[in-house]
Amino acid sequence: MIRFENVTKVYKGDVAALRDVSVEINKGEFVFLVGPSGSGKSTFLKLLLRDEVATEGRVLVAGRDIARLGAWKVPNLRRNIGCVFQDYKLLPNKTVYENVAFALEVIGRPKHIIRTQVPQILDLVGLSKKADSFPTELSGGEQQRVSIARAFVNRPLILLADEPTGNLDPATTVGIMRLLDRINRTGTTVVMATHDQRIVDAMRRRVLELDHGQLVRDQARGVYGVGT
Amino acid sequence: MSRLAYFVRETLISLRRNLLMTLAGIITVAVSLALFGGIRLVQTVVDHGTSKWKDGVELEIFMDLEAGEKQIEEVRRQLEADEDVRRFRFLTKEDAYNEFKRIFRDEPELIESMTPDALPTSFRVAPTEAELTEQVKRRFESVSGVDEVITPQEQIEKILDITRWINYVFTAMAVVLLASSVFLIVNTIRLATFARRREIEVMKLVGASNWFVRIPFMAEGLVQGAIGAGFAFGLIFLLKVVVADFVEGASRLWQGFYVTNADVIGIGLFVLVIGGGVGVLGSIIGLRRFLDA
Repeated sequence: MIRFENVTKVYKGDVAALRDVSVEINKGEFVFLVGPSGSGKSTFLKLLLRDEVATEGRVLVAGRDIARLGAWKVPNLRRNIGCVFQDYKLLPNKTVYENVAFALEVIGRPKHIIRTQVPQILDLVGLSKKADSFPTELSGGEQQRVSIARAFVNRPLILLADEPTGNLDPATTVGIMRLLDRINRTGTTVVMATHDQRIVDAMRRRVLELDHGQLVRDQARGVYGVGT
Repeated sequence: MSRLAYFVRETLISLRRNLLMTLAGIITVAVSLALFGGIRLVQTVVDHGTSKWKDGVELEIFMDLEAGEKQIEEVRRQLEADEDVRRFRFLTKEDAYNEFKRIFRDEPELIESMTPDALPTSFRVAPTEAELTEQVKRRFESVSGVDEVITPQEQIEKILDITRWINYVFTAMAVVLLASSVFLIVNTIRLATFARRREIEVMKLVGASNWFVRIPFMAEGLVQGAIGAGFAFGLIFLLKVVVADFVEGASRLWQGFYVTNADVIGIGLFVLVIGGGVGVLGSIIGLRRFLDA
């Protein structure tokens, strides 16, 4: 599903964010991406979204080298990759329902599909009763659920999560992780960058550890900080 | 259909949000295009008015209304014999009437009240040398049956000079204003994208196509340009009415300096295309920085 072949990313000013990273992530896997700040986690995710292009090496998604996609095909790639962030990125002037519907609206999905899919996904994330609330009326955990609903409503093949629990307390975090696990069980590949040691240790999933842009660990049922 | 509704809604919201900037953009577009259109209108009027004075035609001999066949023949004979006359053309009452109809085609009542009989016949004369104009004039003024000989060449030159001058100055002003209206629209669009940067970010994240993101902003620019052009068209039409009033009450020299509704509509379309173009150009420039990534 995702393959990095000797990927190096150098930003302007000779900052090497990733160095010769090769890794393969299969369909349906749940992968944690760990490492200290500045280790290259965000760059890894940006390359997948084609927010950035690799300086050397190839990034393949579903068998295709995404650096070679024309600019007009990038939206298509992004429709197949859902994204969740630490700061939720919800639109404050839209309700929960409208925030989720917006994601379908702007990719041109017809109204009848929006009307059936949005309630379904809100049900999945447990927010049916809050459909008409505005983001500011919700707790952090609820906002992140909305953001997950928006990322998943179009049933992408891949879900990327960049520190999705970074702003949440432990109890809420557990709920979000359950939700991501549930989404993973539907066959969606999940890649989650995190600092949160407890989650990684508790979930026992594959762990990729980056340090100064290099892949220093790839462990099938890993914990956060083995050997450190 | 729902997509169209989406674009319309987003465009209107954005136009309203930046109302002041939008108005500034519209007004500059309107003023610059009114200048452009005004120049075209004046040019058209002058072109019409001077067309019969081309090819060396320097003077027109008007016959008395009651001038008989014999008197006309006499003038024709003398013109043919005159060594200073290179060529001439006779206009019957019917020709004069047709020209009258062309000039006043927007005023059917005036045409209704006019008959070919009420118009004089005339000769349009091209002398061999322009300098001989006055001599020829003097020679024919006194011939029996001749009402008046007009030699408008000097005035025509003056008019052409003035219009050329007006053309340069106004075009320069219009270009400067047009440039500033592009600048204003660029700014409006930048503000609009900034106001909606969260939406744009989310749209790009979930894979909205580039055109889907751009269209509301381009429509916003287009609407500004088009509304500005609409106002400009109104001003041009007003100018047309003023010109028509002037021609109606003017002397013989000025008859023929007319402008038709078709001319005005042509100018209006020209202005509309430029206005729309300016709007779209402004929005493309305004969008460039925000959407490239």
